[in-house]
Amino acid sequence: MDSKKSQQDLDSFDTKSTSNSRRDFLAKTAAISATALAGTSLLASDEKGDPDILKPTPWGTKWGDPVTEHLYGMPSKYEHNVTRRYTKLLASGNYRASIAVTPIQNSMGIITPNGLFFSRCHGGVAHIDPNEHRLMITGLVEKPLVLTMKELKRYPSVTRTHFIECPANGGQEWRGPQYNSVQFAKGFMSCAEWTGVYIKDILADLGVKPDARWMLAEGGDSSKMGRTIPMEKVLDDAMIVWGQNGEALRPEQGYPIRLLVPGWEGNLCVKWLRRLDFASEPWYCKEETSKYTVLKPTGKAIQHFYANEVNSTVTSPSPEIDWSDLKDGDTVEIEGLAWSGMGTITGVDISLDGGKNYVQAELKGLVLPKCWTRWSYIHTYKKGQELLLTSRAMDDAGYIQPTIDQETLKVGVEAVYHRNAVETWKVEKDGKITHVEVRSQLGRKGKGELFIEGKA
Amino acid sequence: MFKLNKKLLISISAAAALSLGLSACMENATPAGNAPTKASIDGGVSYPVANGKTGPYYVNEKAHTGAIKFGRTPTKAEYAAWNTDIMPDGTGLPEGEGTADEGSDIYDEKCVMCHGDFGSGGGGYPSLAKGNAYELHKTLTNQRIKPDSDGPVRVFGTYWPQASTLFWYIKDAMPHPMTGSLTDDEVYSLVAFILNANEMKIDGEEVSDDYVLNREKFLKIKMPNRDGFEPKIDGPNGPENVRKFFANPDNFGAQKVKPSERCMHNCQEPTAKVVYIKNGGIKDFHPALSNVKDLPKEENKGFDAAKAYEANCAMCHGAEGMGAPVLGNKAEWAAYTSKGMDTVYKAGINGINGMPPKGGSSLSDSDFKSVVDYIVSKSK
Repeated sequence: MDSKKSQQDLDSFDTKSTSNSRRDFLAKTAAISATALAGTSLLASDEKGDPDILKPTPWGTKWGDPVTEHLYGMPSKYEHNVTRRYTKLLASGNYRASIAVTPIQNSMGIITPNGLFFSRCHGGVAHIDPNEHRLMITGLVEKPLVLTMKELKRYPSVTRTHFIECPANGGQEWRGPQYNSVQFAKGFMSCAEWTGVYIKDILADLGVKPDARWMLAEGGDSSKMGRTIPMEKVLDDAMIVWGQNGEALRPEQGYPIRLLVPGWEGNLCVKWLRRLDFASEPWYCKEETSKYTVLKPTGKAIQHFYANEVNSTVTSPSPEIDWSDLKDGDTVEIEGLAWSGMGTITGVDISLDGGKNYVQAELKGLVLPKCWTRWSYIHTYKKGQELLLTSRAMDDAGYIQPTIDQETLKVGVEAVYHRNAVETWKVEKDGKITHVEVRSQLGRKGKGELFIEGKA
Repeated sequence: MFKLNKKLLISISAAAALSLGLSACMENATPAGNAPTKASIDGGVSYPVANGKTGPYYVNEKAHTGAIKFGRTPTKAEYAAWNTDIMPDGTGLPEGEGTADEGSDIYDEKCVMCHGDFGSGGGGYPSLAKGNAYELHKTLTNQRIKPDSDGPVRVFGTYWPQASTLFWYIKDAMPHPMTGSLTDDEVYSLVAFILNANEMKIDGEEVSDDYVLNREKFLKIKMPNRDGFEPKIDGPNGPENVRKFFANPDNFGAQKVKPSERCMHNCQEPTAKVVYIKNGGIKDFHPALSNVKDLPKEENKGFDAAKAYEANCAMCHGAEGMGAPVLGNKAEWAAYTSKGMDTVYKAGINGINGMPPKGGSSLSDSDFKSVVDYIVSKSK
């Protein structure tokens, strides 16, 4: 280990929760390590040392639990703050038509653990007996079909890693930032490895009639949530899934089965799925007309707005996990997520001045279609310097994230859904992180088009 | 047991197997960015199967041949039991009738506790009407670009393109805690009541209190915002209209650019300024945000009736106009308690009028009773 690295390791100790003796120890070793730079080994120190290292621990000296405990494993009890969260402002009475969002500030890699996957329901979380659940396929097919869950799982399985995002992710912030939290500003999404069957593989034997242009997917929960899907998606990559990260779907995700339409609105991925119906005309379901439509300044609303567009966010630092413990000159990673429901992420740029100037960040790990993608940028922190961290992603369909000005000029501020403009975290002088937006004041010509006030 | 014990994660071995599996197959895989792509209906790209792969994933193409057949044909009765959808052309719409007056009685019994007087909204549930639908339809061009500007009114009468959606939704998914419990006549009555609250007309005739709505008249309803949506999805060209609409990024506020031509310097409008969270923003987070690694606080063994009331009951019992006796209203509660507390407990536990069993809460009987005691004690 080189001496510079060992100093960093020491400096990165969290001193807040430790005793005075440990703080004294750390202060002294920091001074000593200056001499270490000249080539002297740290082991030469005669200081007593960190009591957390020196004293025996209960877990290091006593038996732990027998393997017969917790036959289904659980997180360490010290991790209880890593949890889904909800706000009363997004809760229809009694939390039955509501959402609990994912702590993406704590997310690692591109997989969301099943217990943290965001949860949205319209009539409460149903607990379905799989023995009594059926899937019925009817309408414009030569051979209608009903399947038990056991029969459904006999079809050849397909495993894919895809995010699911509620298109209202960020939907409370069209007129300005509201949440000083990455969990609430961007956590209406999660990513998992799904296992199920391509719908096209079941349909191959059913004889879909030529005038079948649309599919209705309907849930068996008390809300009977339904949505209309065009045949092109049904015959491309739409799946009926029963597996999530190597185990059965959780009830919150629609156990025993849900629809998965990769990259498209989470609302289309109907949970507790029980019926697929085919017709020549669309259904006009409640959730695809009264909600999940984007009202523009023209007074016209976009319907059947399927794909979640290219998007990204900085996840580290975040308002939740900030830089207030960093020292001047520390080298630190700025890390984040990028995703696109329209294709595969091809690159991410990072700006330190709120989207005025960009440099290219690096992609990390697996880069998969319609999937969370990790990105990284190594930064040297200057204590007391204010920064505006803005990330901007691109995908292989040719899209790039718009500025807030570009997006609102076209779709206004009443859209609710599908906001994918770049997001900005301000690094304050003390290293704390504040959610801000970098935007112009819009004006309006009568009831007509929007413009940027003061633009020459 | 504290709450955390219910939170189950994937096992470490499953996660390890997943990452191994993925990294192993990626070694021979074409990077997804170089995989064949095809323009898709949503404005994005899809990954057609080529050389046994879609994007980075291998596929077994023999799965797509239709050789695999399981299950059976549903019976007519099975099909009818689930085929409850109602389409704009009237497919699936049953015969029946009802008036707004009749609907008003059902509404007061089963709907008002969530949707408020005359569909005004409340309890976190949506408004059904805000006044004259034809007048308020004009507000859809409103944009709250300044703090004092009015927003668009998006309720059934002003926004929904089809009336069929309302009938279908009420029949299948309302009342929220007891779905599928209304007769067809009751649904016609409720639809008439909602049309009345939106001051709507059918064939030029106002849907008055005693207007008899039936199937024939229902199919003549013309929604003010019928043509308010794009792209057009009806008819044989529907899917192609969708494809054309999303092929133009301007239509939905998207930006396309060649990577080599993207802006790297001076990319913001000179007018753009840093905008901060106003008035403290939204901070109502549960549980409160924290990243401390410590042991959770011991679960409070003592049951907090006041807290349970706030979480489960205040929505309806906390304010006038929701159809439920209000906490603190001595006369109202005295009328109930005079029948004996056992009767009050029983009514609450089993549900009464519009109140679902235990108010839709998952409290135990004994905890529920202490909440009832709390409400009664605050209403003496």
